[in-house]
Amino acid sequence: MPNSGRSSANPWLVLLLAGGFEVGYALSVGGSHGFTRLTWSLVAVVFFLLTLWALSVALRSIEVSIGYAVWAGIGSAGAALLGPVFFDEGLSAFQALWLGVIIVGVVWLKLADRPQQAPSADPQNTPQVAVAPHEPQDARR
Amino acid sequence: MQWLYLAIADIFEITVAIAAGKAEGFKNRPWTVVTLLSGAIGTYFLSKALLTFDVGVGYAIWTSIAGIGITLLGVLLFNQRLDWRKALGILVIIAGVVGLQLSGAA
Repeated sequence: MPNSGRSSANPWLVLLLAGGFEVGYALSVGGSHGFTRLTWSLVAVVFFLLTLWALSVALRSIEVSIGYAVWAGIGSAGAALLGPVFFDEGLSAFQALWLGVIIVGVVWLKLADRPQQAPSADPQNTPQVAVAPHEPQDARR
Repeated sequence: MQWLYLAIADIFEITVAIAAGKAEGFKNRPWTVVTLLSGAIGTYFLSKALLTFDVGVGYAIWTSIAGIGITLLGVLLFNQRLDWRKALGILVIIAGVVGLQLSGAA
């Protein structure tokens, strides 16, 4: 990813990391049992801050809709697949199918949420509902 | 009750998305505080919902409903268009959530 004059960390790597943190967040929130278990609760707080931070860093260089789609897809797929590994939960074929439908819908919706379709007098100040509001100033493809 | 918890958690998650956008990479302090506070409250109610839902199921429903809410708010408040792509995404998510519920998972 050409990225002149910015930190050398690969934004896609950071985005994958953010997705991984989000999976950790989902699992630890579940494991906290309504925040009645201290260790899981503390882990959940840490993952919450990590996922928010990593996502905002990644979205400085990656287009918001694409970055959000990847992040949300990793988060939901990871939570669905790893939930039964960590907890006493099953994942039937039907459940997996409908979860897959939801995940496809989320990724699709995020990709469809492109800001350039918004009519606005001043594109620099278009308010966006997204984790990172600012379009990167550096040149992108 | 778990659906009510999930709905409350979603309201705060949508608030997180809006506030994080205004927090400008956490440089804007008031919006950063709103982001973290909403995230904390939303997370608490998500954890209450996950007492009943399986983690993968509850999380997927929670995050997808928030996605719908964020898209609709963008249309209602931020002058964005609800084109067929967004509408299709919303319908697919709703179909998935309803399917999950009918299959007895939610």
